Amino acid sequence: MKFFKTILFTFSLLFIVACGESTDVVESGTYQGKVKEVEVEKTEIYVTTDDNKTLELYFTEATKLTKNGETVDFSMLKENQKVEVTVEKTGNRLDPISVKIME
Amino acid sequence: MNALPEFWRSEVFHPLSVHFPIALLFTALVFKCIALFYKRETFRLGGSILLLLGVIGSWVAIYTGNLADGIVARTLCDPTILKDHENFAYTTTWIFTVAVMLDLICYFFSQQLGTLALWVKRLTLILLLIGNGFLMYVGHLGATLVYQQAAGVYVPTEDCQEFE
Repeated sequence: MKFFKTILFTFSLLFIVACGESTDVVESGTYQGKVKEVEVEKTEIYVTTDDNKTLELYFTEATKLTKNGETVDFSMLKENQKVEVTVEKTGNRLDPISVKIME
Repeated sequence: MNALPEFWRSEVFHPLSVHFPIALLFTALVFKCIALFYKRETFRLGGSILLLLGVIGSWVAIYTGNLADGIVARTLCDPTILKDHENFAYTTTWIFTVAVMLDLICYFFSQQLGTLALWVKRLTLILLLIGNGFLMYVGHLGATLVYQQAAGVYVPTEDCQEFE
């Protein structure tokens, strides 16, 4: 009995750990937040919004990345930068329409 | 007219590589369970070799999964499933990695471990059981990505012109 309790406890603990780094789905709109992570190879960013939601955004060919009104390269994105993102929700996918670097 | 895409695309290497660790790690568990009742080297050592190969295969699958992720995620209707698949895959691979380390410790240092070796073996078996539970769930998530969202799948045109 103790053996099975140990398995159940370990399984539950690992399950919680595995669920850990989840992302959120929000409605289409404009959100402000900070860049949590930048994945250059995948042209992907994670943004933590002001209401503490994590958005996973894969850039598309249509995504406009700007700073001070000018179009800039993806390499300009850095962690902890303040950004304003406009996303379009398609199904449960968030397509970034525009990303403005605020600082 | 649409051209038929090349078969050897980056995202194709993931489904090609995932089935080896699934088979190896499940069989490793079966071998280790049989070894509990039949003290034959075939099952004990066989289980260890299968576990080691399965873990190597799992890390290869993680690598090919990362290759596919950047391409596939942009076309999915629900990428949150992909994120869960990725998170659980990492956890599963780490569970089996710890299991293989314990198994290797038991194999090379059983003399020094003494009675502790029995507990290490038990812990390894628990990890294999839990790992296989996670492995089934990761596989299920992967299957839903392919069969419900066509992840990495080329969908032919209605008139199949690209095959003519």
